[in-house]
Amino acid sequence: MNSIAVKDLQKTYAGALTPSLQGLSCTFAEGTIAGLLGPNGAGKTTTISILCGLVEPSGGTAEIFGIPQTPANREAIKRTIGVVPQQIALFPQLTAYENLRYFGNLYGFSGRPLREKIMQHLEAFGLEKAAHKETGRFSGGMKRRANIIASILHEPKLLVLDEPTAGVDVQSRSMILQFLREYNAKGNSVIYTSHLLEEAEQICEEVAIIDEGKLVTQGAPTELIGRHGHCRNLEDVFLHYTGHAVRD
Amino acid sequence: MLRIIATIRKEWLLLRRDKAGLALLFAMPLVLITVMALIQDAPFRDYQEVQFDILTVDKDQGRLGRYIREGLQTGGQFKVIDSLNGQPVTEEAAKKMVAEGKYKISITIPKGATAEIVSNANKIVNDISKRMGLPAQLPVKALSNDSLAVQLYFDPAAKKAFKSAIHQALDNFLTQVETDLLLERIQLQLRNRDSLQQDTFPAIRLKAVALRETSVGEGKQIDVISNSVQHNVPAWSIFAMFFIVIPIAGNMIREREDGSLVRMKLIPGNYLSVLSGKLLFFVGICIVQFYLMIMVGLYLLPLLGLPKLQLGVDHLAGFLVAASIGVTATAYGILIGSVFKTPNQALNFGAVSIVILSAIGGIWIPLEIMPEAMQHIGRLSPLSWGLDAINDVYLRNGHIRYVLPDLAKLLCCGGAMLVIAAMVEQRRIG
Repeated sequence: MNSIAVKDLQKTYAGALTPSLQGLSCTFAEGTIAGLLGPNGAGKTTTISILCGLVEPSGGTAEIFGIPQTPANREAIKRTIGVVPQQIALFPQLTAYENLRYFGNLYGFSGRPLREKIMQHLEAFGLEKAAHKETGRFSGGMKRRANIIASILHEPKLLVLDEPTAGVDVQSRSMILQFLREYNAKGNSVIYTSHLLEEAEQICEEVAIIDEGKLVTQGAPTELIGRHGHCRNLEDVFLHYTGHAVRD
Repeated sequence: MLRIIATIRKEWLLLRRDKAGLALLFAMPLVLITVMALIQDAPFRDYQEVQFDILTVDKDQGRLGRYIREGLQTGGQFKVIDSLNGQPVTEEAAKKMVAEGKYKISITIPKGATAEIVSNANKIVNDISKRMGLPAQLPVKALSNDSLAVQLYFDPAAKKAFKSAIHQALDNFLTQVETDLLLERIQLQLRNRDSLQQDTFPAIRLKAVALRETSVGEGKQIDVISNSVQHNVPAWSIFAMFFIVIPIAGNMIREREDGSLVRMKLIPGNYLSVLSGKLLFFVGICIVQFYLMIMVGLYLLPLLGLPKLQLGVDHLAGFLVAASIGVTATAYGILIGSVFKTPNQALNFGAVSIVILSAIGGIWIPLEIMPEAMQHIGRLSPLSWGLDAINDVYLRNGHIRYVLPDLAKLLCCGGAMLVIAAMVEQRRIG
């Protein structure tokens, strides 16, 4: 089964001159770490937003573990998916523990099981000593790690991460990537977007490169590099398909 | 229920750590109410308790001057001043001091005013006697071309209502003196005609019918008069409660900007429960705000020499009014937070719109004294519904059924704003 499958996905925002998605079609197999790559404005965030049910597509279909993303299935899909937004989606005036307790409560967890779950995750991400510190006073790396914990409290089968390592130090990045490998090793699927192609090359079993709202290529990083003799790494493949022109 | 309780707890933690927000919600309104009640105390007392100094130049030294002085001083509202630094006040000096704004009014009683009234009364009595076949015995002055007048000088800044009140009072004193003297003259003429030496003329009551005021409030009769505290405390409490739109809208926009709103929407379960938690929390804050401000009217303002706030007889009705105002104010905050994209837009629109709604809604000045067209517009303001309901409970001793129409309007308006906010949010998904 596929973790996600999008077919002929289209989206034009109200008032926009050009469509964000123009018939995007791609699939990622269940239980893999997959990368959704593309230059700025390629349509990555729109695709993720449609998969999560935050944005209605103008056309086409999106499925998560075979369940079509429709208003009727939205609640069921929310239970299987965890999204780590690029922004630090935490309340800066609340401590890490208070933030996680609040989001845990929203998921329906409470009391001792929730406390234990929070402390376990904080420990796994090296944040146990900062549990009662306001997240607004965290370093960039600490914020990123807390941001991930808030998205996995319900142990989703599919974890979608938007630039999870942007602006973090080497140690935090290493910890995050290690976590993704371990999470995937438990049989969960991971989809992540990044501009750090070296990182994607290291961690992803499969990548899809999209540009101007369409899929330009898809495959394992080594396979894509091998397809083009002049490409030494994923970055060369990326530039080969998307060009050198600067995007706004 | 867990989601609602969690959201209430989260909002409380956020507010507790936002010192500026706490000050805006609680300290500022208390200061506002105290200041407004103090500064508006004088205008409210203008014609009730404040004593005005009136310069009096009595060139007549007769009964008219005495009546005017005694009449003005009887109510305690005016203090008659006829000498300054041991010297009698002259008309010129009085006129100058009034023009300079040192005194609000000066009255000059012309020389011979009482004699003129006596002569007039004698003339009337002589005419009546003549018609009755009696000799005209009372002395009458020769007709003068110059009619005498009590001269008034007003401070140019004096209000029209104040001038009108003085005119009416003086006119009343003149009529009273003329009537008294006329009755006296009639009595004298009849006594002269009577062979008996003693006065058998019956006493004449000048005021056969008196005025009496009775409170029309329901339930326990409380002698509530509209004063600065009674108007300002409820009015500015409603104004301050509506200012909750600023933290609510700011809070919602921040949640949208920092992505936590997206996170909340991605969590299974109806987002409405999160909004309900928010609504309940801020309605609770509004109620706490309201009763804190009521306590200022009950305990602090009397310490500053102002009257104590009267709460009417139905405290449950008062609570329901406060809660309904809280629902509408919170819903307005949620609507602004949904419609506007940046905190600056929401802050400016929210603050200005509340000032406008409060101005037209009778918070600053009562609706009744506004032009008719403005009164119609003002009655559309939720703040005027809240103030009407509070006045029904506090001033008219009304019960719940008296305030039901206003409560219904407030709650329907709040509901409509929440529906619009939901539609705006829904549109964002599209």
